[in-house]
Amino acid sequence: PVCPHSRVEALMLEMQDPASGVKSQTQRLVITTIPHALSGEPRLPPASRPLWRRHHAQAFGTVMVAFGYIYPLQDHKRLILKPDASLYRFQTPYFWPAQQWPVEDTDYAIYLAKRNIRKKGVLELHEQEQYNNLHKWLNHKWDFIVMQAKEQYRAGKERKKPDRVVFDCQERAYWVVHRPPPATVSAMEQGMLRLVDPNEEEVNRCIIFTQQCIMRPRVKSSVSIGALVKYTTTYKQHDPFLAPCLPSSPWLTDDATYWTLNMPNVEVPTKMRVERWTFSFGELLSDPRGRDDFRLFLKKEFSGENLAFWESCEDLKWGTAATMNEKAQHIYKTFLARGAPRWINIDGKTMEVTVKGLKHPHRYVLDAAQTHIFMLMKKVRRVSCVRPCRSVAVPASRRRPSLSPIVLRQQEEEQRAKMAASGPVDITQLCRFTAPVPHLAVYSGFCQSQATASPGVVTLPNSAACPSPISVAIDSTPASERRCDSHGGPGSNFPSIVGSREATSPAKESQTPTSRPRATLSLSRFLRRGCAASSVFASLSPKCGVAAGSGRVQPLGMEPQTLSQPRRSANFFQIKVDIPPECRIYPIDSEDEQESPGSAKGAVKEIICPWESITKQDGAG
Amino acid sequence: MWTRFATQLQMNRWRQSVGEIQARQRQVTECERAQVALSKVTACFQQMASSLGSDSDGSSLREELAETRALAHKICTGLHRRLLALLAEGEQGQEREHVERMWVFLLTGLETFQKDLKKVGSLQEFFPLTQRKDRDTLVKTGTSGGALEIAARVATIQTPWLAVEDDQIPDMKTQISKMDSLMQEMLQRVNVPLWSVEAKQEAWVEDIKDEPDQDETLEEMMQVELVSQEGTTSNCCHHPRCKLGCILCLLN
Repeated sequence: PVCPHSRVEALMLEMQDPASGVKSQTQRLVITTIPHALSGEPRLPPASRPLWRRHHAQAFGTVMVAFGYIYPLQDHKRLILKPDASLYRFQTPYFWPAQQWPVEDTDYAIYLAKRNIRKKGVLELHEQEQYNNLHKWLNHKWDFIVMQAKEQYRAGKERKKPDRVVFDCQERAYWVVHRPPPATVSAMEQGMLRLVDPNEEEVNRCIIFTQQCIMRPRVKSSVSIGALVKYTTTYKQHDPFLAPCLPSSPWLTDDATYWTLNMPNVEVPTKMRVERWTFSFGELLSDPRGRDDFRLFLKKEFSGENLAFWESCEDLKWGTAATMNEKAQHIYKTFLARGAPRWINIDGKTMEVTVKGLKHPHRYVLDAAQTHIFMLMKKVRRVSCVRPCRSVAVPASRRRPSLSPIVLRQQEEEQRAKMAASGPVDITQLCRFTAPVPHLAVYSGFCQSQATASPGVVTLPNSAACPSPISVAIDSTPASERRCDSHGGPGSNFPSIVGSREATSPAKESQTPTSRPRATLSLSRFLRRGCAASSVFASLSPKCGVAAGSGRVQPLGMEPQTLSQPRRSANFFQIKVDIPPECRIYPIDSEDEQESPGSAKGAVKEIICPWESITKQDGAG
Repeated sequence: MWTRFATQLQMNRWRQSVGEIQARQRQVTECERAQVALSKVTACFQQMASSLGSDSDGSSLREELAETRALAHKICTGLHRRLLALLAEGEQGQEREHVERMWVFLLTGLETFQKDLKKVGSLQEFFPLTQRKDRDTLVKTGTSGGALEIAARVATIQTPWLAVEDDQIPDMKTQISKMDSLMQEMLQRVNVPLWSVEAKQEAWVEDIKDEPDQDETLEEMMQVELVSQEGTTSNCCHHPRCKLGCILCLLN
């Protein structure tokens, strides 16, 4: 025997058994009598299932009625099994519900047309509406529908009266199940074969996913096109294919200067490049050169950890899956945990969400925090860096031979080694080696050496540059930190001295390496001394909230109120022309310098960020 | 002389074209009759199919079903071929629209009939009548028999064309797949967008004028004979909202 499609069908067959099946009675109509009517009275279930309890039987019976395996003879629109003398009948298998026989609108139209043909005005309101709808969208089939309705009607009439009544009942019951009247509960909405428990985990997730899909923000095309236009307008001068670029377009002239000038680790970024940084914060961050400058700027502001955090987040996002857990842990320990060495300041809610998410880390678990920090940094940048750089692009005549990056790095390594070897240098001595240069190229950022410095060695600014007109040597944060560390102080974000270099320095490959290290070493000593005092130092800064003497500078990070102080703006990017011959080295914050016991007094060489507004600070504390 | 010849030519051409037109008209009429026949056959098929699996099912019913579907098959294939020919040579105009309507009619008819065929096929599998005890599981639907009357009606249906290509009853599966391919071919070969066809029939069709008696609705037919306690019967519609009936019952 063929396997039944479902349990219900199997049961239907069982109920037919003459011995053990359901007892039936005769329905007495005016015009005729029809056998095989069933009653819903508790004489059910069949004798073959004596263990069933009454309410189970009734519930299951209602299911059978709801799906259309049994139909009521009275009150035909309510598909329930009533435990009284109401009569029911088995539905003929042709009208059984089955998913492999989809219920077609064409058939429904034929059915309605048939009833209407038989006697006008017999259709109910919802049926009339549906009929009109069907006429609209099934219009091309209407000839067929009407003709078929007529023929079906005629064919039906050929049958004996009782059979005809039965067939009509069957058909009517079928359509009550599949096209239920409005405001009735239809079993078909659940789907016959759907065995899904809506409380299951997987289904729940599906539901949530779908809900989120619906909630996704949508953008009007006018808005997105506007954004596109704005983007194009902003960037069109910067595309070498659309606008001529200086010195010449390499694609056209085969002269690679343009690329050389725009290398990632170039010392002096071109004007166009810097201008690009002003477009958006994202631009600044995505350009490694810009990021370097920003990093140093942030160090000055006691908030280099923000950028570091941002970079770590990027690393997590783009890194391999295998390292993710490890990275997440490291980030947590370094940036997020209480008392972490580079604690970032994010609001409580974000922190809570992030920490919670870190229990099951995935690629984007730090997105919320990263966005927060990004916005924070963006605010900083906007506050402080407003004016675009005024550097001049290196004219072709002053083209230097391009340096291979490898060579550059080698030179830096050599320099570091030399610095390690040499002794401390007085700060003031450094000044002698740095002479103010009257015609300064205004831009300067500085290039932070990418290479990792060995502990105890200060890496100087790009050694290919000529002596800095400023009397400050550039330090790289990691190195300074490491230095501090190596001298016993815990890692601190003590800002490095920032300086800048002349942009148009001619190609002086080697500096006076010996002098530099000494200057910076003494600086390091100063710093070291200040590491103990750094807390004092820092504590005097309105930004620092760490108790003095803790040895560990807990930079407060980017507290909004401090950031908004324009005085805090970076003043390192631009060199003022009139530098007094007696230049001093100061740690970044002039204010701090005033107050710190160890700081050198004197005229402040101001370094003005090319982006900052005109209000130059005098560094008064 | 020449003018007589020219006139003769023209006359010939005219006669020819008239002949062509007449032939074409004959073909169209043939197709129309085939349409009606197809509707009849499919309607009868459905009536018979509704008895499958019920206690009025039997081998005779199934034989009738097989013959009916064979007839339908003949009509379908013949109609398909003729319509194809008509469409191929057709010029634009009213007549073309008419042929296109018939084309869409055939397509719809094929779809509906194929659906029925599939249902019948699976029902016949589900209720095999090979053994005696299989009859025990047939569903007691209350019908007493349906094949004979309908079969008589089917017998009255004739294919409008005389030539009979294939006398054999095709296998169910074969027939279904053949219909599939027919429909596919129809959709691909002839570029008649279905929605461009406007039906001639009205939305709300009037009653069939040729019916001798106005039939009762199902509700009327379903009037239940109410037996009161005293044994007298009264015509009372067992409508649930019929309070009058209840009152009468109570009074009896």
